[in-house]
Amino acid sequence: MPPAGIWVDGLVQSCIYMTMAFGMVLVFSILGILNWAHGQFYMLGAFVVYYAITAAGIPFPISLLVSGVVVGGLGMLVEKFVIERLTAPGYGMLYVTVATLALIFFFEGAAGMAFGLMDKGLATVLPGVLDVGSFSVSYQKIAVVIFTLVIMVIMYVVLNRTKVGLAIRAAAQEPVAASLYGISVGRVSLIVMGIGCALAAMAGGIMGPVHSVNPFMGRIPMIMSLLAIIIGGLGSLTGAIVGGIILGLLNSVIAYKISYFSEVVLFVLVILVLLIRPQGLFGAPAK
Amino acid sequence: MKKWYNVVAISMVAVIVLGIFAIACAQKPAEPQATGPITINIGEPVALSGSAAPWGQIPTPFREAWFEVFNKEGFKIGDQTYNIKLIQVDDQNTAEGGAAAAKQLIFGDNCKFLAGHWTWNFSAIASVTNPAKVIFVTRTGAPDALPASWNGAYDAKTMPYVVFGTPSQDEFTYNCFALVDAFPNYKKLGLLDSTVSKGGPGWVVLQDVLNKAGVRWHSEWFTPGTTDFAPIITRFAEEDCDIVFVAGWIGEYMAFAKQRWEMGYKDMKVACSGPFVSLGMYKAVVGADAFEGAIGAYYDNSQFKKTEVNPKYIAQCQEALTIAAEKTGKPYEYTGEIAWLPSHVLILVQAMQKAGTVDDTDAIMKAIRGGTFDTTIGKWTMSGAETYGSPVVFGTPACLCVIQDGKEVYLSEHPMEPLP
Repeated sequence: MPPAGIWVDGLVQSCIYMTMAFGMVLVFSILGILNWAHGQFYMLGAFVVYYAITAAGIPFPISLLVSGVVVGGLGMLVEKFVIERLTAPGYGMLYVTVATLALIFFFEGAAGMAFGLMDKGLATVLPGVLDVGSFSVSYQKIAVVIFTLVIMVIMYVVLNRTKVGLAIRAAAQEPVAASLYGISVGRVSLIVMGIGCALAAMAGGIMGPVHSVNPFMGRIPMIMSLLAIIIGGLGSLTGAIVGGIILGLLNSVIAYKISYFSEVVLFVLVILVLLIRPQGLFGAPAK
Repeated sequence: MKKWYNVVAISMVAVIVLGIFAIACAQKPAEPQATGPITINIGEPVALSGSAAPWGQIPTPFREAWFEVFNKEGFKIGDQTYNIKLIQVDDQNTAEGGAAAAKQLIFGDNCKFLAGHWTWNFSAIASVTNPAKVIFVTRTGAPDALPASWNGAYDAKTMPYVVFGTPSQDEFTYNCFALVDAFPNYKKLGLLDSTVSKGGPGWVVLQDVLNKAGVRWHSEWFTPGTTDFAPIITRFAEEDCDIVFVAGWIGEYMAFAKQRWEMGYKDMKVACSGPFVSLGMYKAVVGADAFEGAIGAYYDNSQFKKTEVNPKYIAQCQEALTIAAEKTGKPYEYTGEIAWLPSHVLILVQAMQKAGTVDDTDAIMKAIRGGTFDTTIGKWTMSGAETYGSPVVFGTPACLCVIQDGKEVYLSEHPMEPLP
C-alpha cells in the first residue's frame, strides 16, 4: 500500500487535472471544440500571478482572481477573433484544431520573448509545511485542494443557481431551442470561453508556487486534462471531475509502484476506455 | 499588347543587369594585409532558444568578457599575433538545428573550429564538421557523444576531427566519487536521470565503474517533462538514499529539491550534475531553506584544492567575472563556463601554437592527440587512446560546491584519472 504522502500528492494532482478538465469540457459543451491551447492559458495565468505578486505586490488570492480575469478576457478575444470565425459555415473542425494548435506555439514563443525562458519561482508564497504523522504536506499544496473545492462550489452555484448558468446549460443541450428562447448562443460561447480559460489560468496560478513558472509549463497539464475528460466522458462536467480524480490518484500511485512506466499505463488505460466505453464513464453514447 | 510585354521584359532584364553591376562595383577591393592581429573565427553551436536556452544565454556575459580579456594579448605563432572572434549560432538543442548551425558556421562564417559545444546533437554536428575537416571541440555525456566501444556514436576513424574538451560523462562519474569523498558515512547514493538516457552507454559505464569502486547506489528514472517527483522521492527514501544526484535539466532538479524538502526529507542531500545557473532562480523556485545545503558542480578555479591551475588563467577568469558583473549590473555568480568554452579555446590555441599553423587542421589535430594542455581547469594530457580509439579526451577536476548561507562554497574534488 503506498504511503499516505503518495495519496496526498495524488489528490493535489487530481485537483489541477479536475479544474483544467472542467474548463475544457465547458468549452467543448458549448463551442463543440477542443481548445488545444488550454495548457497555454494555464501557463499565462501562472505568469500573471507571478508578476502580480513580484512586480505589483498584489496578495496571492487577489492575484489569482486577476489572472482569471485577465486570461479569461484573453480567451474571449481568441474566441471572438479566431474561433468564431473558423466555426462559421464554410470552415470546419480541422481549421479550429489547426488554429488552436498554432496558438500553443504562439503563446509559448510570445511568453518566452516577453518573460524570458528561465524558470521563475514563487517559493515565498505560502511557505512551510504541515507535519501530519508520518508525512508532511506543504501549505501550497493544501491551498491547491482548498482552491479546487472553492472553485467547484462556485461553478456548481453559477451553473445551477444563476440565469447565466441556466443559459449555458440550455445552450449546451439544445442550442437552437435556446436561441429561440432569446438566449444569445454567441454571447454564451464568449462567456463560456472566458470561464474555461479563467479556470485554466487560476489553475496555473495556484500551481505557480508549487512548481515553477516557465513558458512550457502548460504542456503536461493539457495532456493530462485531455486524458481526464476522455476517461470521464467528453461533454460531461461530472466526468471531468471524476476523470481528474482518477487520473491524479492513479498517476501518483502507479508512479510510486512502477516509476516511469506510469505514463505508459495511463495511456493504455485511456485506450482501453476508448475501446470499451468510448463515451467515457459519464458521457452520453454516440447517437 | 505584345509591344508592352517586350518593354516590360527588356526593363526587367535591364534592372537585373544593372543590379548585378552595382553589386559588383560595391565589392571593396581586397585590403592590404594588416600588420595588427589576425582574427580567427571560432564557432559555437549553442542553444539560444527552447527549453535549454538558459544554459546557452546565461554564460554570455562571461563568455564575451573572457574573450575581451584573452584578446588583450591574443596568442602568437612566430611573430604574428592572433585574436579570436566567437560566433554563436542557435542550434535549438536539436539535431536539425545543430546541423544547420554547423553549416552556417563553417560555410557562412568560415569557421575552421567549433568549440564550447554541449547540446545533445553531437552526431548531427560531427557529420558536418568531419567531412569539412573542421575541428569540433565538444563535451561527452550526451548519449551519442561517447565512443563506439561504449555504444556511442564517436568513431575515431570516421571522426578524426573531434576533441572531447569537456569529458562530462567522466566528470559525472568522478562527481559521484567526490560526493562519496565529501560524505564518507553516506548510506546510499541515489542517481536520478531522465528516461532519454536510460540504458544508454554512459549509464552502463557509470554503473560498472561505481560497482567496481564499491559505491552503494540506487537509480530511478523520470519521463522528460515530469514536475511531480513525490513518488520518486518516496522510492529513494525507502531505498535509504541519503544523497541523490540529479542528472536532469534545471527544472527537474529544482522540483526534486523543493519537493523532497516539503515531503519532510530534509536530510536527503540533493546534488545537481551541472553548475548552478543562477542562485537567485534556485532560491526563488526551491525556497531558500530547501536550497541551503544543495550541491552542484563548481568551476571557480581559484578555489580548486587538488587541481593546480595556472595563475595566469585564474586571473583571466576573475577579471572576466568582474567585467561580466559590471555589464550585468549585479554579481555574476555562474562559474560553469570557466570549464567549457575558455578551456576548449585554450586547447585549440595551444595546439595551433604547437603545430605552427592556424589553418592546417590535420596538423593541429596531430598536436592535440595525446598532447598536454594548460587551461582554465588545469593541465591535462589527452587520454582515451584505448577506450576512444584516439587520445582526444581532456581531463576535469570534478569539483563540487555546497550552498551555505545562499552562496557556493567549495565542498570536494576528485580529479579525473586518464582514460586507458
